Amino acid sequence: MKPRGDAERQLAGPERSSAGMGLACAGVSFSYAEGGERLPALRDVSFALEAGGSLALVGASGAGKTTLLQVIRGLDEADGGAVLLDGASSGDSRYEALRREVGLVFQIPELQLFAATAFDDAAFGPRQLAWPEGAVAAAVDAALEVVGLPPAAFGGRHPYSLSGGEQRRLALAGVLAMRPRLLLLDEPFVSLDPGTRRDLVAILQRLKGDGVTLVLATHDVDLAWALCDEVLLLAEGRVAAVGAWDFGAAGAPLLAANRLREPFLVELWRRLGRDPATAPRDFAAAAEALA
Amino acid sequence: MKASIAQYYPGDSAVHRFDPRAKFVAVSALALALFVRDSFASLAVYAAAAALAYGLSRVPLRWFWRAFRPLLWLVGLTFVAQLVFAPGEAFFSVWFFHLSWRGLELAAFLSLRLVVLVLIGSVLTLTTAPIALTDGLAWLGRPLRRLRVPTDELALMVTIALRFIPTLLVELETIMRAQRARGADFRSGGLRRRVRALVPVLIPLFVLSFRRADELALAMEARCYRPGIARTRLHPLRASWLDAVLLGATAAVIAVALLV
Amino acid sequence: MTAPPAHPAASPADPAAAPAFPAARLLDVSGLHYRYPGAPADALAGLDLQAAEGEFVAVVGANGSGKSTLARLLGGLQKPTAARRALACGHDLLTEEGRLVARRDVGVLFQNPENQLVAECVEEDVAFGLENLSWPAPEIRRRVDEMLSRFGLVSLRRREPHLLSGGQKQRTALAGVLAIPRRALVLDEPTAMLDPAGRREVLAAVDGLRAEGLAIVFITQEMDEVVGADRVIALERGTEVYAGPPQGLFDDVQLVRRLRLGLPASGELALALAARGRRLASLPLTLDDLLDELGGPR
Repeated sequence: MKPRGDAERQLAGPERSSAGMGLACAGVSFSYAEGGERLPALRDVSFALEAGGSLALVGASGAGKTTLLQVIRGLDEADGGAVLLDGASSGDSRYEALRREVGLVFQIPELQLFAATAFDDAAFGPRQLAWPEGAVAAAVDAALEVVGLPPAAFGGRHPYSLSGGEQRRLALAGVLAMRPRLLLLDEPFVSLDPGTRRDLVAILQRLKGDGVTLVLATHDVDLAWALCDEVLLLAEGRVAAVGAWDFGAAGAPLLAANRLREPFLVELWRRLGRDPATAPRDFAAAAEALA
Repeated sequence: MKASIAQYYPGDSAVHRFDPRAKFVAVSALALALFVRDSFASLAVYAAAAALAYGLSRVPLRWFWRAFRPLLWLVGLTFVAQLVFAPGEAFFSVWFFHLSWRGLELAAFLSLRLVVLVLIGSVLTLTTAPIALTDGLAWLGRPLRRLRVPTDELALMVTIALRFIPTLLVELETIMRAQRARGADFRSGGLRRRVRALVPVLIPLFVLSFRRADELALAMEARCYRPGIARTRLHPLRASWLDAVLLGATAAVIAVALLV
Repeated sequence: MTAPPAHPAASPADPAAAPAFPAARLLDVSGLHYRYPGAPADALAGLDLQAAEGEFVAVVGANGSGKSTLARLLGGLQKPTAARRALACGHDLLTEEGRLVARRDVGVLFQNPENQLVAECVEEDVAFGLENLSWPAPEIRRRVDEMLSRFGLVSLRRREPHLLSGGQKQRTALAGVLAIPRRALVLDEPTAMLDPAGRREVLAAVDGLRAEGLAIVFITQEMDEVVGADRVIALERGTEVYAGPPQGLFDDVQLVRRLRLGLPASGELALALAARGRRLASLPLTLDDLLDELGGPR
């Protein structure tokens, strides 16, 4: 099969070359102007996440999580260092096209809803990418299905007539409709009713299963544990710790120093006398092990 | 951000402590009187008074500059316009700029007058908290109530609007970024395309604002607000002999400027 | 403002001889109905709710269950469609005058901290309610200082709202609501939009109110905010499906699941175990509870 060029891909609509995108940051620094000064928000951030991986971005408010996600997506350019998408940096000719395959879901994303129908709102992204209408419809329908808003029932609804949880899911569909291979989520569970919170966890687990690379910024250490294999701890713009979860002699003090408690299931395993490193990720698995 | 859109610089100087009503009356009187006579001497009197007020306020020069800078283009435009439409004998002409002594004199005068006007106005905005200024204006506008103008309610509306401007600016930025992340482009294209590109930003902002108005009104009612009631204030306006002195001094300045 | 009902125990007669009277019933609502104009069904259908002085009543339910409607009705902010009895601190919520006066005695704190703050800085906002009641300036000053100190806002007194964190905004809003001396307080999901730190701040502030004798109605979707309540009422699509002590709700695992309530991790695990046939005696809220239930080592 002939590999498709970038221009061809644009015209013909999206096709997934590989499910997930590899992401790396090499010494990324960023500061922003405020009242005549430059305030550093990110200092020398470096890490690597392979395609299909899942990374939890944790840290206190103001640590730089939102800034990092926006720099990765390209809404701001890093002052120093580089963001590498599938190994390509900004000088590479493929970079712009790769950037378009990075999806960023903002905090309280339902704020971005504006169209007259749910379908049209979710279609905004693909249409901005100038996909042919057939490809747009396919992508939007698929995205609406994934988030649990079947197009037949919800496609024609006005976004503001939807409940809060449905709006959140619609906003997510708007990003998924662009078929991102790297999905960045900024506190997706905040200000969400418990029922939709659970639904959203299931949606993200499914996306992870489909091979999409995930970066999840969250305050919730239990949800981070459930969804992400690796963790990056950000403190005042710097990387305090990065890599696979570690609750042993090395990892535990780092968590404590940044006022992060252990995930519930990890603590439970520890208290039951079992090795914390074998603690299950979700309640179903835990229940299996205990029942 | 120390001073939001209203440019208030908190402080404790004498100028800060004048009653906002007296300050507003003084500033308005000076601003009007400024245009009565076309003489440099007269202007110098006003400039001296403004500089004195400014010095007493102890507001750093940087803040004044920040208030003044947006109007620099207007001063420049005024200056240049005079050179185009200058009266009198031109000693140098290029294109349609005629430089004459009379023209230069006029240009300088008009520009300087504008500077003095801004200086006088800035002393007011830099030393008066927005809420105090709105209270003062509401009081001064009291007579309008007889014409059924809801001055107190308007004052509260202005206060609330000012309070939400910084919030709205942040929300605007956020929504723009969110749509940019979905491929929206606000920079390229002609005027029509750029205006259309703003739709995904303006609609959410409008909806957000309407919802906000609803919730805010409810919260205000829950704290016993009702339009038309007589409200007291945490910081009531209190005029004192100092304000009488201010008004007297203002009258004196105007008198001197008119006679000089 | 109406005078508080005469309390027999306040008489100078021998306190030992006085019989024990029940604390004054500050919120007393029976058969409360509300239907939005043009809606096909009631948002609230026949609700009963009583809260006495010093009582902490929690109200739980999913979105659309009528919780927010209840908050507005109890605060005298909306007119009930019908009710057998609707009294808030002795004022009749079915009449307009009653509702207007009820707004003084019953405070309401809403979900969105941003949309409750009107003034240019914290202390002006806290003063807003008292200004509306035409309190004299020195009294306002005294009361505002008291509230600022009470809710840890003294260092923030001149701060502009857009520079506050979510928790700080909500504490400011609470201080503003309580600046007016209240006898009852209704909180409509006050922590729903806050991060964990903000949530802790606000819950601590509310905890401190229990000792004051206010009747408190706390609306939430999170089970762990219900634990310390004296009573819980659960709403489902406008009707009451449970009213009783919190423990009773925790024991009804099916109901908790049906109401789509937020559970702490131990509760979620308990639900997962129940799905696998290992039924625990009641819903554990903490890790320790769970370990007790599992009978494992501590």
